[in-house]
Amino acid sequence: MDISTSHPDSLQALAAADLCRRCDPDQFKFQTTDELEDLAQVLGQARAVNAIEFGVGMGRDGYNLFAMGPEGLGRRTIIRRYLERLAPRGQAPSEWCYVFNFDTPHKPCAVELPAGRASRFRQDMARLVEDLRAAIPAAFESTEYRAKHREIETEFGERQEQGVGAVGERAKNQGIALVRTPAGFGFAPRHGDGVMNPEEYRKLPEAEQQRLESAISVLQEELESAIHDMPKWRREAQRKLRELNRQVTRAAVNGLSEELKAEYQSLPAVLRYLASMQEDVLDHAEIFRQPKDGEQPTLFGVPLPLSEMGESFLRRYQVNVLIEHGGTDRAPIVYEDHPTHDNLVGRIEHTAQMGALVTDFTLIKAGSLHRANGGYLVLDALKVLLNPLAWEALKRALRSREVRIESLGQALSLISTVTLDPEPIPLDVKVVLVGQRLLYYLLHAYDPEFGELFKVAVDFEEDMGRAPEADLLYARMIATAARQEKVRPLDRAAVARVIEHGSRNAGDAEKLSVQMRDINDLLRESDYWAGAAARKVVCAEDVQRAIDARVERADRVRDRLQEEILRGRLLIDTTGSRSGQVNGLSVAQLGGFSFGIPHRITARVRLGAGKVVDIEREVELGGPIHSKGVLILSGFIAGRYAANKPLSLAASLVFEQSYGGVEGDSASCAELYALLSALADAPLSQSLAVTGSVNQHGAVQAIGGVNEKIEGFFDICRSRGLTGTQGVLIPASNVKNLMLRRDVVESAAAGKFHIYAVDNVDQGIEILTGVAAGARDAAGQFPAATINFRVERRLSEFADRTRAFGATAVAKGRRRTGPRP
Amino acid sequence: MKIRRVIVGLDPVLQSRALLEAAVELAGRMEAELLGLFVENQDLLHFAGLPFAREVGFASATRRTLDVESMERSLRALAQEAQRTLASVAGRTPVQWSFRTVRGSPAAELLAAAEEYDLVIANLDAPAELPPSLGVRVVRAGDVETLRRALEEAGGGILVLAGADDDLVGETLRRVLER
Repeated sequence: MDISTSHPDSLQALAAADLCRRCDPDQFKFQTTDELEDLAQVLGQARAVNAIEFGVGMGRDGYNLFAMGPEGLGRRTIIRRYLERLAPRGQAPSEWCYVFNFDTPHKPCAVELPAGRASRFRQDMARLVEDLRAAIPAAFESTEYRAKHREIETEFGERQEQGVGAVGERAKNQGIALVRTPAGFGFAPRHGDGVMNPEEYRKLPEAEQQRLESAISVLQEELESAIHDMPKWRREAQRKLRELNRQVTRAAVNGLSEELKAEYQSLPAVLRYLASMQEDVLDHAEIFRQPKDGEQPTLFGVPLPLSEMGESFLRRYQVNVLIEHGGTDRAPIVYEDHPTHDNLVGRIEHTAQMGALVTDFTLIKAGSLHRANGGYLVLDALKVLLNPLAWEALKRALRSREVRIESLGQALSLISTVTLDPEPIPLDVKVVLVGQRLLYYLLHAYDPEFGELFKVAVDFEEDMGRAPEADLLYARMIATAARQEKVRPLDRAAVARVIEHGSRNAGDAEKLSVQMRDINDLLRESDYWAGAAARKVVCAEDVQRAIDARVERADRVRDRLQEEILRGRLLIDTTGSRSGQVNGLSVAQLGGFSFGIPHRITARVRLGAGKVVDIEREVELGGPIHSKGVLILSGFIAGRYAANKPLSLAASLVFEQSYGGVEGDSASCAELYALLSALADAPLSQSLAVTGSVNQHGAVQAIGGVNEKIEGFFDICRSRGLTGTQGVLIPASNVKNLMLRRDVVESAAAGKFHIYAVDNVDQGIEILTGVAAGARDAAGQFPAATINFRVERRLSEFADRTRAFGATAVAKGRRRTGPRP
Repeated sequence: MKIRRVIVGLDPVLQSRALLEAAVELAGRMEAELLGLFVENQDLLHFAGLPFAREVGFASATRRTLDVESMERSLRALAQEAQRTLASVAGRTPVQWSFRTVRGSPAAELLAAAEEYDLVIANLDAPAELPPSLGVRVVRAGDVETLRRALEEAGGGILVLAGADDDLVGETLRRVLER
């Protein structure tokens, strides 16, 4: 069944009131926005707000949030505001420190402390070390220690004396002296108190020399065996000394750490740490004895190793406060602007020492997951995905519920320098990802873990319904934004103008855009113009100027295109009429600025095999939706006019002078008119332009960008001079989208420009040709002279002619073969 | 009696920092000059000159041959080290100091120095007997009373024998000065 009207000339142009839904300033009782209260609620985002409330309240795993929607809606602001409101108070999360692991130094231990205690713990430990540096040397200075130390040394000395002394005694009896050399002992013949002069020695009788030499040789052997045991004795003495040192140190350390242990009684992790630290101090007491500069500590003249000495060694007793929440009593809300892998999970820094990279637990730095632990982490989804390995690290942390610090170089086995493997910290965080809708759907489709971890979709709307009470709410939102942006107050006419702009931005008379960025920009720009005009209040004039100036800044390309049309280089007729040619309309968007531009669409028909050729498609300048629109035309023509005959039509359709691509089906209506006009040989009025898509039954369907399209044609007509016959045919279902420019509305009101709302193809063709479309009568025939009649007749002729060609060809074939004898 | 000069015996074998520190402290308190006297022990050179001179290493317990040249080298090195140590200890104080090397018997050289200088601190065992012509009074470390008396009375130099215990010298000197 076809849709067609029975009253061909009843279609009137739309009234001016239908072309733009004005906002009446007089409905407002306020003078300026200063009188309006702040709006606490978020306008038009009920779904998103409910989702945030649910997501924040839901304490289970995997209920992380993904806030999706286009840029400029104020998603981050809304999320922050709601998180601040909903974040639980009075329970600041734990603070975390890293401390040295005395058992496994490359695995620093994480210590959890109640809020506000981490910093104190660090100070307490620093003070303990300071105190130890005073107390331990003092203990070693005590008379008791010195006496015991001397005792051990004397014991060792005596043993040594006994060993060496006995040999010395035997030597003395044989007239030989034991000589102490810088590095050991030797034997030489005596002479008085000293050693015999080599000269004198040579004067000795040979027998005596031999005696001395052999005696010395025996003595040397004896001495060797006596000295041989000395390292053992020294070790024993050292062990005794160490034990003594430990005892002395233990007394000093115990006294100082008891106080701390009492203070941290309730924290077993701290107590465990203090116990291991105490043991470690006992093992390394010499570090605290602060050797004087340049002096190497020695034991029996043997220098002690210096490798672990000094300040750097004492670093191991420091506390690395990773996270502290000084002063707040609420869950943290962290926005990570630069979510690299390291910024998320933390990093281990290195310092260069003698050309080598070294690190220790004090160089562990927190990431935003640490900072947000116990609270909320807001991240930009795209940035997380763009930073190598950040997304994987985030998922791993959420899944395992712990933050493990691992350097990227280590994770990828790129660097094998000394590094650490810090104990992971338990994680309890709610992550809010902010991103485009496309990203959400792509992640959902391609990352199986995404759905598990981000169960709450927070879907933001671009616009809200424009119910009667919405205008006032919107006005309050404008007032709130104006105060936040610190701009001049707006008077009510200005507010009305902003509301109209909001509706125009939404592309719908029944909607208002809630793109906060655009609203804020408009307020700031209006404020600028109000300032330029030295006004204290922003007027409608300033708002309009801001809108116009914005268009002016962006419309260079539109101007050039319009100029080309007016100069006659792009062929667009705005007067007269012509068969198979119609003005179509397209919308271009460049850098956030959309504008409409007319296009000439032409159709040629001839006898053929029932195919409508879309030239755009043939040269691959047309997209699939455009091709679909053209194929629908074939369907409509065949169904309506050639139901019982072969469709013997060949037609070609083209967007003239289109050198870029064409996409969308909003020109399918115009293409159908061109085709019908060509078939019926009925000229179409060139003072009209057409937009709308069509279905196989001939119904005209809604399209996008209707305002820009109308204005695009209007601008051309006005430049050439409005004749009063010009106008645009739009789908009736698009009337609700009309928020036209004031100059268009004024021309329409003056009868100089007309907007026709069209339901079906018949209405359109009647307006364009001035000839009735015609509906089938009871006998199924179209009335004579109507467009439909003419089209059907033409197609019928094509079919008959095809049949005639076929018959002729058969006859010719028969003649050629001839009758058989 | 006013002590004007303090001499500290620096031994090539028993180098003692504690002895040196005690001497520097003493010189500082008495506003006296300090001389570090390094005695290259004649006995060592004699020993090294013997054809069968062997040294048994203290730490290694192995035998090494010796000759005079290597012993002299080693003594020079030790003298330099002793001077460096003296410089580092005394250099931190306002004490005026000097360093000298002599060759001979430590006891003889130090006793001779004690005659010349007012107070000598040295790591020596007591000489068996002193020629009475030497106007030197010998005090053993730990004998505070004798040292105090010696300091109060005029006449000749004083030789403080450190003995084996370095710390004891410092303690003795400190206690005498405290009185």
